[in-house]
Order: sequence, then structure tokens, then C-alpha cells
Amino acid sequence: MAPLRLFPLLLVLAACVDSESPPPKGEGGTLVISAGGDPDILIPPLTVTIQGTQITDLVYDRLSEIGDSLNIVGDGGFTPRLAEKWTWSSDSLSIAFQIDMRARWHDGQPVRSRDVRFTFESYKDTVLGSGASSLVTNIDSVTTPDSATAVFWFRARNPQQFYDAVYPMAIMPEHIWRAIPRSAWRAAEQAKAPIGSGRFRFLRWTPRGSVELVADTMNYLGAPKLTRVIWSIAPDFNAAVTRFFSGEADVFEAIRAENLPDIAKSPTLRIARTKGLDYMFAQFNLRDPANRARLHPLFGNRELRRALTMAVDRPAIVRSVFDSLALPALGPTVRTYPSTDPNLPQIPFNLERARQMLDSLGWRDENADGVREREGRPLQFSLAVPSSSRARVRSAVLIQEQLRQAGVKVDVDQLDFPVFIDRMRRRTFDAVINSWHTQPSPGGVRQSWGTAGSRASSGTNYGSYESPAFDAYVDSALASSNVAERRALFTRAYTIIIEDAPAIWLAEPIPTIGHHSRLRLAYLRPDAWWAHIPEWWIPADKRIPRDKVPLPGSSPADTAGRKAP
Amino acid sequence: MLRYLAQRLAQAAVILVFVTAISFVLIHLAPGDPFSAAIDNPNVNEAIRDRLRAQYGFDRPVPEQFVRYLGQLSRGELGWSFSHDRPVRDVLAHALPNTLLLMTIALVGSFALGILVALVQVSRRGTATDHVLGGVSLLFLSMPDFWLAILALLTFTYWLPIFPVGGAVDPVMHEYMGLWGRIMDRLKHLILPALTLTLLASAGIARYQRAALLDVLPADYIRTARLKGLTEKEILRRHALRNATLPIISLIGLSFPALLTGAVFIERVFAWPGMGYALVNAISSRDYPLVVGAVIIGSVMVMVGSLVADILYAWADPRLRGD
Repeated sequence: MAPLRLFPLLLVLAACVDSESPPPKGEGGTLVISAGGDPDILIPPLTVTIQGTQITDLVYDRLSEIGDSLNIVGDGGFTPRLAEKWTWSSDSLSIAFQIDMRARWHDGQPVRSRDVRFTFESYKDTVLGSGASSLVTNIDSVTTPDSATAVFWFRARNPQQFYDAVYPMAIMPEHIWRAIPRSAWRAAEQAKAPIGSGRFRFLRWTPRGSVELVADTMNYLGAPKLTRVIWSIAPDFNAAVTRFFSGEADVFEAIRAENLPDIAKSPTLRIARTKGLDYMFAQFNLRDPANRARLHPLFGNRELRRALTMAVDRPAIVRSVFDSLALPALGPTVRTYPSTDPNLPQIPFNLERARQMLDSLGWRDENADGVREREGRPLQFSLAVPSSSRARVRSAVLIQEQLRQAGVKVDVDQLDFPVFIDRMRRRTFDAVINSWHTQPSPGGVRQSWGTAGSRASSGTNYGSYESPAFDAYVDSALASSNVAERRALFTRAYTIIIEDAPAIWLAEPIPTIGHHSRLRLAYLRPDAWWAHIPEWWIPADKRIPRDKVPLPGSSPADTAGRKAP
Repeated sequence: MLRYLAQRLAQAAVILVFVTAISFVLIHLAPGDPFSAAIDNPNVNEAIRDRLRAQYGFDRPVPEQFVRYLGQLSRGELGWSFSHDRPVRDVLAHALPNTLLLMTIALVGSFALGILVALVQVSRRGTATDHVLGGVSLLFLSMPDFWLAILALLTFTYWLPIFPVGGAVDPVMHEYMGLWGRIMDRLKHLILPALTLTLLASAGIARYQRAALLDVLPADYIRTARLKGLTEKEILRRHALRNATLPIISLIGLSFPALLTGAVFIERVFAWPGMGYALVNAISSRDYPLVVGAVIIGSVMVMVGSLVADILYAWADPRLRGD
């Protein structure tokens, strides 16, 4: 329906383009993604926004790409990219990557091992301040015995050292960046016009308008099937979703529950789901915000936390807030991890039992005002949420109502996002609804819920939950190469933390993208649904005028003697 | 007149310093900073954040930062935008023409429409037409601007898809169009936000102008015109309107801040890449230099607007020229 509505406009626009030019090799087509904002900076170690990550993932290549199963133990499932093969040393303390000699940067220069060494040094450099620097700490150095070989030397053996070497780093061209001091990279022109080796090359970025990539038709891995990928930027949700519904965009990734009926009614729109890496939780601060040396007057008590958890009907909250776009969270993990048991035992919802537990802890409603007291102190706390997150605000209101029925007063504190972040970092809160986006490795749980993350000033265990048993099981699990043993150890760790209830585990969102039915998608990888965009295509009979726009002039690389593979 | 202009410019300079100081202090007092909001990444540890804060001088006391900022300003530098990763000057240079275009069209359109509606109302005062137009004006005056913008967006881009959804140009096809195609493309994208802003602003002007016209109609010179045999239309157009325009000119100066504020919401809803859009994002990401830069430019626009209004007032009323 949407394309029919746009038909007259598209006819006019079609008159302005050269529709006679044939599409390049492959199936052709233009993919328009409705995006909520501009990318931040198009340098892989510095990119933070989702748009920036999507763009740099398509423009740059890693040495090897993680498999769709997201296995991180050893190199199982990893596929060659810039490295056509690799060899482990006999002691497993080094891996030699053989660079694919066909690979070239989009300016025509060949990709060489020195680019790999340069990239590693950049990620590690504190002057650059890459967020991924903490992910490469197990790599001691990268050496380059010849122009085609990059050898990674590790400090210690661990089951995910291959993942550590290839996943965090997209390889960058040394010849472009070496002359620019790393402290000046953010301001460099190259940060706005990246030159990579991926199957799409950067064409243009109109700030607060759009970002456009085009197929690198001479790429060493073969041309992508789509001709162009465009991020069309609209910061307002209504504008962004209307672009999708009206047919101006093909893909919208921020689908909300209330959009599902409209998509279901549309003959041209579809949704596609994948597994997720996010989980949302209401976190208790176990330390007194006024004096961190003391336990929190309420949440320092494990039984009280368990009673509060028991009083919250998590599946009902998930249904109400997310409809079918989330599952109740299992704990500080996601179902996507092969190491997660989807049947982890939970503290069940039981309002009557929760009331009894609160009674037995001495919290009783003596003055019949609906709020329990103990020694003159009401059972009351504030629950902070960022006002920008509808899901968290709605969840907070539902928790407030459910705990009211148990005689607990919750003050929902809606905060501007920077204020919310600041309060968490300073740990000056009673409880917050937070959400973590995890990596394919479950190792991040050490920082988010482990003792190290609680005690370090830079740690992200804002609630200060500490359990030596939990830490020990997590460490053992991460050190194990045996999948079954890993899963068993993680299960014991997760069981401990679920029983200790440092948080109410709320929801595990299911990543869902809305897309036009004319698109033929490939597998949506849980950590990056866009990873296989080079394999997406649009059948010839489904193309509209924007799909027939020819490629702009050849890239410099095309004139540098490259041959299509 | 030159002395008057010099006085106004001196006043403007003082106001500008105050506005800069207030906006600078307020945004710095808000919790968070560019590195806590923009780099919300659990992997970016506090050591990296602290190093970045030191690199950009955010670890220094606010008065020291302000003095440094004034030093930058005196060299014509507005600083570095952390949310856009480019100089504030470049961000605003890209955004300002879009906002000026939108505001100019809305200003001209709203005054033309407002005056026209008022003329129709007064020429048919007391009739159903007068009451209906008055009611419609009141309705638009009462509407929140973002609500009308969302309603217009859904109505004319989704339910009745006449216009494109947002942005200043078609992000897909614009670069591949010919000159005429590009002009048409820009116009299509401009109509909806400009119309929304125009409708919102014209409602107040219509009511104001109607009252001003009704004020002058009992005047002696209008009675004289009637006695000379002029038609009611001619009396309104040639005699009443000019005299009733004086208070409206004051509205031009007052409309600038109102339009600028309205543009903030309109630009966001229609993804119009102007100052408002940049400012809202800058505040939420604690992009200090961009917030202060946008406030300075906004203040200059408002001051220029009120100066233009004063000059127009003097032009329209010969009695004021001698002063």
C-alpha cells in the first residue's frame, strides 16, 4: 500500500535520474534504514552510537568474523575476512594471521600486516581513549614478520583468546592515519569520510540528513548484492516510524509493541526477530548512598530483597510493556549465550508469601496507611529511571503499583539521562531500572555484577553486590574450554546471584526489526542484525525507482588495477 | 538614527555577555558532562573519561573555563561540539540557514495570513464568518506546537501521503536529481514544517490585528472617509490597516523568540536540520560548547529581530523618526 501511495512522487523523481543504467554486479537495490540519529564518529575504536557501529561494521573488516552461533571458545565458527587463514602456536600463546593479499583499501592501497599492528596499537593507546581498550588487555603485542603475516602474542592462554584478538578490532589503514596524532583523530576529516576494506564504501554524510554507502564492486570478498545502503535520519520517533510506514524507508529497528498491529495489517510490511544480547533489571543499591561503608538500610538485607522480588509479577510487566517483543529476564545473562541454561530457577511471584516474609522481617503496617513500617521508618524507597526510556518508565510505574499491594511505597524518580547516569556512577540511588547491552562473551558479568566491578572506581557494578562464590564460579566458567562444564559453572553462578536478589530481573528484549516485504534478508546475527546486509537483496520485479539509481563514479581502488574476484 | 543604532548595539553587546554567562554556568551546573552522557559505554572506564575531561579542560573550575571560553569567543571560535564531533561553527553554519529559511517563511506567511484573516473578520464583524475564524484562531493558539506538528505529519505523510515525512531533502534521490528536481524536492520538504509554524504564529497575529483594527474604526478620520463615500473595503485597506499596523510591528520583534522556540519542536518532529534540532540534542548530551553557541546565535537573532521591528516602527510612524 505504501509504495502505491508514493507512486506519483516516485515517478517524478524517477524522471530526474538515469534509470537506464543497469545495476552493478549482483542483485542490486537500495536499502534505506530509518535511523534515530546521526552516527557519532566513523572511527571503529571510537564509535559509540548504534548508527556509527552499523556504518563502520560495513565499511571496515575484521581479521575474522564471528559465526552466527556466536561461539567464542577457540576459533570454531569464525570465518575468514582480512585474514584468509591463521595458525596457532604449539603453546597457544600466539596466533599468526595470514592476510588475504587480494584485500585492498577503498583508496586502492593494499591491506598489509602493518595495518593490523597499527590498529592494535591504536586500540591500546590511552591517548585515543577507545572504549574497546579494556577488551584487548590479554594481547601483549602484535608483530609483523612479513607484509602478509600478523602475529598476536597473548599474555595468558584462555578459551576466548581468538575472540579477544579478532572481535573487538576492525582493521584500519595505517597510511591514512599514521600522520595524524591520535589526540587529533576525532577532529580529523578522515573521521567523517572513512576508508575501509569492507564490501561497502563510504560515499557521503549529510549531517542530520543521511549517510550513504555504496557497493564496493571490486571487493576481494565479492560485491555485495545491494547497490547502496542509506541511513535516513529522523530524531523524533514519530517521524522515524512514519518514514517506515509510508515506504520512504525499508527498515526500522526501533519497533515498539504498539506498532505491531499496524505492521500486521499492512500487506507490504513484515517484522523479523532475532536473539538478543540485552537485559533489563531493577537494581538495588546494597550500600548506603550517604555512606558507602555501611549497608543500605533496606537493601542490605537479603531477605527483604527476596521479598520485594517475590512481590513483583515479572511476566505480567513484560507482557504489558513489551507485548511479544521481550521475554522475562533469567538473571544477569541472556538466552543467546550457549552457556546459559534457559531453565534457570527463579524467585517465583507470590504476593501472599512476600507479605508474610515482610511481616516476619518486622515490616508491618501499624498505622493502616497502606505502607509498612519498622521502628518508625516506612518501607519506602525511590526508583530512578531515565525519562527518555518509555519501557523503563512504564516498568517502574507497574513495579510501583505491584509493590504498593505488598505495603511498599515506591517513589518513581524520572531523570534526564545524563543525570541518571551521573547518579548511578556516584552510586547515590536507592534503586534504578537499568539495562545492559552485552558482548557475545558472557565475561562482562564480572564488571557488572562481580566484586571487582563493585570496588573499582571505574567499575559498573553500581549496586555493589559482592559474592565470593559468584565470582569464583564465573572465573571458573570463563576459564573452561569445555562447553558443558562452562554451562554448568555459569548455571551455579547465576543461581547464586538470582537467590541473592541484588536486582529484580525484568526483561530480555527480543531484537525486532520492521522491514519491507520486497527485501530478501539474510540471517540476523544477535550481536549485529546488520552483519549480513551484504547478502540482502531485492528481486528485480520488486524494485522501485530508488533501487535503480546507478553507482557513482568508480572508487579510486577500481582504477588501481583491482580485479573482481 | 545612527546614534540610536549605536546605543542599541551597545545594549545588545551587554545582553549578549549576560546571556553567554548565564547559559554557560547553567549548563555546567547540570549533572553530567559530555563524557558521561555521550560515552555511555561500560567499557569506557573512568580513567579514560578523566583523561578526556582533562584534555578538553572540563576538570578546571567553572570560572576558569568561562574565562577560557570568552578568550575563544574573542578569537571567533565557538569551540568543539562533542555530540557532532566537529567545530560548533560548522554545526551552526549548517543549521542556521535552515532555521532562518523556516523562520523567514513562517514570519512572512504568518503576518500575511494573520492580517488577511483579521481583515476578513473585521469586514464581516459579528457574522458567522467572524465567529468561525475567531474560533479557528483560538483553536490554533491553544494547540501545543509539537502536537499540531505530529498531527500534520501523520495526516499529510501517512494517512494522506502528499508530502515527504521529514528532513530538508530526499535522503535517497536528492543527489541524483537535476536542478529543477532539487528545487522541487526542497520545496516539498519545506511546505509542511513551514505551514505548521505559520498556522501557529498567524493565530495570535490575527487576533491581535483584529483588535487593533476595531480600535481604529471609531476614529474621526475613518468617519471622514465614510462621509467621503469610500467603500468599507477601501476604508479598511487604505486607512484603517496602516494605522492598525503599528502595534503589529511590535509583534515582529516579539515573534522572533516565539518562532525560534516553536522551531525547536517543529524541527525535531519534521527532522528539519536546523538550530532547534541541534540545540535539543546538545542539551541532552551535555554538549556544552554547542549549547552555549546555539544560545548566543539565538540571542543575536532575537536582538536583530527586535532591532528590525524598531526600525520598521520608526519607518511606519513619522512621529518617531525625529526621536
